[in-house]
Amino acid sequence: MTTQQFFTSTWTWNLAALASIAAALVAYVWAFGLGRRILYLIAGLGVFVLALISPLNALAAGYLFSAHMLQHILLLLIVPALVWMSLPRWVSLGSRSWLVANPFVGWIAGVGAMWLWHARPLCNAAVSSQFVNALQISSLILLGTIFWRQILAPREEERMSPPGAVLYLFSACVACSILGILITFSPVSVCPIYAQPPTDRLRILNLIQSNWGITPDKDQQIGGLLMWVPMCLVYLSAIVAQLARWFAHPVASAPVMDKHL
Amino acid sequence: MNGNTTITATVGHLLTPAERQHWKLAWLSTVDHKRIGILYMLIGLVFFVFGGIEALLIRLQLIVPNNTLLGPDTYNWMFTMHGTTMIFLVAMPVLFGIMNYILPLQIGARDMAFPRLNALGVWLVPFGGILLHFSFLAGGPPAVGWFAYTPLSEAPYSSQLGVDYWAISLLVLGVGSVSAGINFIVTVLTQRAPGMTLRRLPLFSWMVFMNAFLVILALPLLNAALVMLLIDRLLGGRFFLPFGGGSAILWQHIFWAFGHPEVYIVAIPAFAILSEVIPVFSRKPIFGHEFVAASTVIIVFLSLLVWAHHMFTVGLGHTIDLFFVAASVLIAVPTGVKLFNWSATMVGGRVRFTTPMLYCVAALLQFLIGGLTGISHAVAPLDWQTKNSYYLVAHFHNIFVGLIVFAILGGIYYWFPKMSGRMLSERIGKWTFWLMTIGFNLTFMIQHVLGLAGMPRRTFTYPDLPGWTWMNMVSTIGAFFMAAGSILFVWDLVTSLFRGKPAGDNPWNAWTLEWATTSPPPHENFNALPPIHSRRPLWDYANPDRPDPVVPVGGAIDTFRPDKIKAGVMTFIISEFGFFGVLILTYLFYNATSKSGPGAQQLDVLKTTIFSICLFASSFTIWQSEVGLRANNLGKMKAWLIATIVLGGIFIVGQGLEYWSLFQSGVTVGLDLFATTFFTLTGFHGLHVFFGLLALLVVLGVALISNPKNGRFPALGAVGYYWHFVDVVWVFVFSIVYLWPLIR
Repeated sequence: MTTQQFFTSTWTWNLAALASIAAALVAYVWAFGLGRRILYLIAGLGVFVLALISPLNALAAGYLFSAHMLQHILLLLIVPALVWMSLPRWVSLGSRSWLVANPFVGWIAGVGAMWLWHARPLCNAAVSSQFVNALQISSLILLGTIFWRQILAPREEERMSPPGAVLYLFSACVACSILGILITFSPVSVCPIYAQPPTDRLRILNLIQSNWGITPDKDQQIGGLLMWVPMCLVYLSAIVAQLARWFAHPVASAPVMDKHL
Repeated sequence: MNGNTTITATVGHLLTPAERQHWKLAWLSTVDHKRIGILYMLIGLVFFVFGGIEALLIRLQLIVPNNTLLGPDTYNWMFTMHGTTMIFLVAMPVLFGIMNYILPLQIGARDMAFPRLNALGVWLVPFGGILLHFSFLAGGPPAVGWFAYTPLSEAPYSSQLGVDYWAISLLVLGVGSVSAGINFIVTVLTQRAPGMTLRRLPLFSWMVFMNAFLVILALPLLNAALVMLLIDRLLGGRFFLPFGGGSAILWQHIFWAFGHPEVYIVAIPAFAILSEVIPVFSRKPIFGHEFVAASTVIIVFLSLLVWAHHMFTVGLGHTIDLFFVAASVLIAVPTGVKLFNWSATMVGGRVRFTTPMLYCVAALLQFLIGGLTGISHAVAPLDWQTKNSYYLVAHFHNIFVGLIVFAILGGIYYWFPKMSGRMLSERIGKWTFWLMTIGFNLTFMIQHVLGLAGMPRRTFTYPDLPGWTWMNMVSTIGAFFMAAGSILFVWDLVTSLFRGKPAGDNPWNAWTLEWATTSPPPHENFNALPPIHSRRPLWDYANPDRPDPVVPVGGAIDTFRPDKIKAGVMTFIISEFGFFGVLILTYLFYNATSKSGPGAQQLDVLKTTIFSICLFASSFTIWQSEVGLRANNLGKMKAWLIATIVLGGIFIVGQGLEYWSLFQSGVTVGLDLFATTFFTLTGFHGLHVFFGLLALLVVLGVALISNPKNGRFPALGAVGYYWHFVDVVWVFVFSIVYLWPLIR
């Protein structure tokens, strides 16, 4: 198989994924109508397609750990963030629930999703079992949604204060970097199922290893580096947004005198 | 006024009348942030003489090819001591001194949050410096570079004591720097004047605040690396020794994980000085305050992420290089933002080119050059060609001297009037400026060319190749220009201290609070503060009809003011993450696979579980003790406190027994990598438990003697934080060391 054939022929037309895309669109339009913010949702669903239907998914299904990692990052960090941004600014969600409103829970959800699914048995199971795979995908989106709520909740008062949010994102980056560093330099395979693909269903093993030059060792390194560097850059972008929020002057036509003087 | 009365008047500033009686102790025992700041700078100046002489010796050795002035060993000593001295004993102390002096004044505080901790920090600098230089008497200084790469710095290859002194000295200095970082953070959080919200912090203070986070995050990484190196050298450990299975590259990773942020630890204060001086001498508020402030946060963040670009030539592989090329190039964005903003501040301003501004403009230009060559090093293929050449030497001296030293000089010319009450001489200032800039550019600009022509660095001499000789000659001559400039500068300091023009409160018509008090400020800093509504309170005060726009209060966090002691302990705990993080990651790295020989399987998990339960239970008991305090039930508080001490004591005894039985079966630190990593990780945790126990005993003693009233006893809560932290660390250590092998 050539690279070009690979990109045209390995799309996973997963019915459940397609159905959830349609359901998300219908539900959004039904609930909020057609506003400009639906573009964020469409972008989010586009990333969802990229992660689960495009050839990336075929690679993640047993061939490349790094592809799995990219899928993981897209589902945990990008899709939920875009969905939050698509919501109209008046929407209030979950502020009543202590569990969802607590920043500590949000942080554990976002960071825990990374650490938990890279425990060796779970990482293997997510490839070999369809059920665990579906569980992984839905849990990543759910946990990512809980994580981003602290930062991207539509209503300003439901978000963390900007300095708190910077600490939240910074520490999440550190926690994920540590895992990324461990994976990059680990002398043992983190997810051994990728080291020996059981069957070359798509007959692309030769393409990956010879033409692309991605050996299992290098594959794991790329996976670790993806988590270490680009993932932190996602957090960094969010930090930049928080700093903009922090330094933005609320429009004050008359000088506002503060109470403390 | 004749000379005598002038001198008396100046001495009057140095000592209060009451202090004349015991003048010898007045400065030695001071806890005043202003005096500590000056001490920091003076100590830095003394070591600058040492580091400077070393630099001149290096340049004299290189003035002609095949020179024999210094032998190869002496040359290695010189560049090692020069690098170490200039970074840890000159740049950091002098910048800490300026920050120490200015920060509390600028935020309208009376002093730093922890004055005695501040005094500890300053006196650790000469202690560390003397330790380092004592190596000259103990068989020769280190000859391994300021980065001390393993295995060269390991005992088999550097058997003299030099590296031990180097490591212990840096450990001492590292502890001092972390203590200063904690102090800066807590000072900004708890000592701000009313109205000085976090968003109203002037840029200098904001950058010092951000920089302090970098200090407490990065320095502990070095401390961890140093204790590992010392365990290797002194106790026969195996961390970085390849023939024992260790990884020499691991040292480079940890060192540069500290080393890259370290560049910013000394660069951000320089940025801070530029951000203060350039607007004042352009008579304009800084262009885009928010962008300069925010880009600082981003620099702090990115600097922790990109250390691997120091290791492109190690052979990490193309995959790793590629990621770090991309991440490193990104740093150009926030630093570029700063350069644009400083330049835009000058555009359209009424720029006054007095000495402080001259130095700052020069710093900006040299930083532009150093920054651009820095980007060229972020590109791996170019880096491979130039890393071990004088091109790199030229690059980082553009940062360390061109940016940082020039900014320091600008800052001293700017703030000396505040510190002494007298102006430095503008005439001599111009002389030092031109000597320094011409000398600097003669010395280092030509080294770019030398490097591209292939001259390797860290080599004691060179053959007579075409062009090399005259370029080296120029470089050495330039170094002597800088030496002349430095001597003239010190002369200016001394003479101006006694004969300088009186400065008045605000000689530069500046806008921040340090200029709202006398020069030098009284012991308590301020008699009264102007109201603070913006980042330039003195502008508002002087121009009531056209003040700066009010910076509104941005919610509770903007006026956040935590309890001082608790904030201090929390900041200290954050600083511990880096230390334990390195030890834990190293343990994981070396014990990822089960090896033959003694290993984690041999540990008595059951016994340790019992002791661990005691430790975990002590978190509950200390919480109960706090509950008792809040209920004003002192008996309950003391009883639970004693229970905590007993439980912690049981844990320590248990760990001691475990160590004893391991020693009996021949498992000692030097046996293999498991033993080295195991004893280091659990040992440092045990040490923390031990210090926690001491703190608990002190708190108990205080509680028994003073019987705190009305539930007010913040020390208990502070020790409680620390104790919980020690327990949480043990949760990780216990899971990784004892439980993980069971399920693996």
